[in-house]
Amino acid sequence: MERIREEGVGRRVGCSRRSALRLCGLAVPALAAPALLTGCGAPSAASAGNVLRVSQPGDPKTMDPHKQGDMTSMNALINIFDTLTTRGRDNTLQPRIAVSWKAVEPKVWRFELRRGVTFHNGEPCDAEAVRFSIKRLLAPATKSPIVELRYVEDVSVVDRYTVDVHTSVHDPILPAKLSLFGGVVVPPRYLAEVGDEGFAAHPVGTGPFTFRRWQRDHELRLAAYDHHWHGRPHVDELVFVPAPNSSSALAALQSGGVDIVAGMTPDAAEQLAGYPGVRIGHHTGIRTSYLSLDTLTAGPLRDRRVRQALNHAVDVPLLIKAVLGGNATEVPAMIPRGAFGFDESVKPFERSLTKARALLAEAGHPDGISTSITASNLDANVAEAISGLLARAGIRAKVNLLDPGTYSQRLTSTNHGALGPMYLAASTVWTMDGESMLQSNVRSDRRQSRWHHKRADRLVDREELSVDPAVRRRAFSDLQQLIKDEAPFVPLYQIDNIYVHNTRPSWTPGTAGVLDMASAKVAV
Amino acid sequence: MSRTLTAPTAPTAPVAGHSRAWTVLRPAAARLGTALLVLLCTATVVFFLVRLSGDPVKVMLPPDATAQQESVLRHNLGLDRPLVKQYLDYLWGLPRFDFGNSLFYNQPVRAVLADRIPATLLLAAGALVVTLVIALPAGTIAAMRRGKAADRGVITAVLIGQSTPAFWVGILLILVFAVGLHALPASGYGTFAHLVLPSITLAVYSVAVVARLLRSSLIDVLGSDHIRTARARGLGPVRTVLRHGMRNASLPVVTVVGLEVGSLLGGAILTEQVFSWPGVGQLTVQAIANRDFPLVQGTVLLFAATFVVVNLLVDLSYGLLDPRVRNSR
Repeated sequence: MERIREEGVGRRVGCSRRSALRLCGLAVPALAAPALLTGCGAPSAASAGNVLRVSQPGDPKTMDPHKQGDMTSMNALINIFDTLTTRGRDNTLQPRIAVSWKAVEPKVWRFELRRGVTFHNGEPCDAEAVRFSIKRLLAPATKSPIVELRYVEDVSVVDRYTVDVHTSVHDPILPAKLSLFGGVVVPPRYLAEVGDEGFAAHPVGTGPFTFRRWQRDHELRLAAYDHHWHGRPHVDELVFVPAPNSSSALAALQSGGVDIVAGMTPDAAEQLAGYPGVRIGHHTGIRTSYLSLDTLTAGPLRDRRVRQALNHAVDVPLLIKAVLGGNATEVPAMIPRGAFGFDESVKPFERSLTKARALLAEAGHPDGISTSITASNLDANVAEAISGLLARAGIRAKVNLLDPGTYSQRLTSTNHGALGPMYLAASTVWTMDGESMLQSNVRSDRRQSRWHHKRADRLVDREELSVDPAVRRRAFSDLQQLIKDEAPFVPLYQIDNIYVHNTRPSWTPGTAGVLDMASAKVAV
Repeated sequence: MSRTLTAPTAPTAPVAGHSRAWTVLRPAAARLGTALLVLLCTATVVFFLVRLSGDPVKVMLPPDATAQQESVLRHNLGLDRPLVKQYLDYLWGLPRFDFGNSLFYNQPVRAVLADRIPATLLLAAGALVVTLVIALPAGTIAAMRRGKAADRGVITAVLIGQSTPAFWVGILLILVFAVGLHALPASGYGTFAHLVLPSITLAVYSVAVVARLLRSSLIDVLGSDHIRTARARGLGPVRTVLRHGMRNASLPVVTVVGLEVGSLLGGAILTEQVFSWPGVGQLTVQAIANRDFPLVQGTVLLFAATFVVVNLLVDLSYGLLDPRVRNSR
């Protein structure tokens, strides 16, 4: 690890052909597949100048925006496609394909569309395209894993640039749900021409970049779209490459093969700190972690005092410092900073072992309690650390780690005790509204609810169904206070989005961590 | 065994004569039948085993999806149909090379596999080259210097190679050449440099197997009459080995190299994980993690089919290479 070749970042051709030549002293042998020749033959980031190369830990699933529901795919697709609304850097909802929207009736949202928008193939983007897009997402044949539009029943065209979205109940955050996965607009005529498979092979959208080429697990190349309604993006070419581990990301960064590495965990990013030409950017993110406590099954966790003791015992600031390298922010009561409904006045629990012990004794456990924490093995470090923090207050929590598949299966099973008395969970609130954080784990009839409380149910209904934002905000405040009093969770932190980059790019990320690169520039 | 063996360079068409053709074809037909049966059993076992791993819908949808959304998706994917019906549909597609649709990629399994096969073939070819380049000289030298230091060195190396897990070799190579020396990329795909470490990793075990076998069969051959005759005629030791020894020792080596192709594919699963090589091995691991039933079935079938085909070819080439096998029928 000591020998680092100093290289002018971004001055060299990417790839490691140099080293290959030095090592072998020969050209690519006859057995090389064509793929081997494109690796270095194609102009790479550093030589082509105005090209931005971004890496994520994984590769997109598909180029069909309606057939994916994961952030890795969405990060790439948001550059090819436009959504109806978008989340600004100030966290407000802003126009994109839709220029304005309002609830004309409790169950009808009306969207006025931008005029003169064209798809990359010249097809006009109008009300019909928007109607087609949402209907396609909801059609059973599409088999879409996108779940946000669950209340949408129908979409109707009012005129060429106006659509009405009809829902089964009033959905106050529908416009926010149309800012990412749910709001992508696809070209109806082109799809009719080429079919689903042809569309996934060569996607056409209205977004700032057009699709060039995709080699699975190798690279996705996009080019600037000259006729984008918001103006041409700053970079000529945008390339996404998967870099699954920190060592490959570092090598790519230093050789100029990649300009920005996204999606790194704090500990992986720490390993790259201090290398020449490597910068690490931290931005408050939205992914929120918490412990869910089973208050329904017989056991010590049915007692509110025990649950409060847990909250006093888990020293979240220390956890953030020790395990996450300081790359997270404490969340006092489930709703993260930046999301609609976050209430500044609800303060986190005072972290105090004395208070924790006193509450446990009061609840009849002077010698502490024995329990368990279940977590996905991806979160092993955090789970172990929490167990250590609890042990200091006499709470013996055994850590059970599950593979991610089994974990999510049990998380969403009808058996609310499937993950044991305590489990570690996290949720990404990309709608930037408190509703998304609480929709599945509070109200008594929801699947992940392990806390039955009549007042909480009423408050959830109020924030989910009210039209007036002020009423919703008040409901969220009351909910956060109630969550703090009753302690059905141990809220932990919202993790930072970390971007490791070289000195070429300048780009300001948003809170949700979406890799929308239209605003990015590179120093050529 | 005084006649010299000349291996035909290409399988010659059976000469006129019904019985002659039949003697060649009957065992071949029987083998082909067995091969198909093996594949059918594999398909069946995998089909039912993979379904014990859990529910793919749970992995596909975010945790805040409703139960109704899950059941709708399960229905759309056809996972709510009776198991027997799913199984029969699956079998019905197999002869037409229709392995169903990948749940995760939402496209035909065939297309997903076709995307990844080149990378794995490239890696296997690289490993095969490394195997032959190292194992053939090592085995030959060990046999010619039997009992000497060179031989002992080779034997020791072979032992180490056969008992070291591939993924560990891979991690070690990454530590030394990528992290330490910055000489080669730690992972990825696309240039010749990317191919070096994974090929070596994958080849370690095969090198050991092939070198050991070549050594022992050469030692057998070198003790035989016609080699002594050749030496008596004044041929040098190296030329003797190359001209006469190799020819007779090649048969078991060809067999084992064929079998190694199978284990190269198996080893590719681990090696591709370690080097994030975008081949079928990595795809298999991802498919298992995603509970992508059709894709797991497809990858396992692909491995099985490769294994079966290679074995079949080795079996059939026996008849062409070895007159004893050919004439015994």
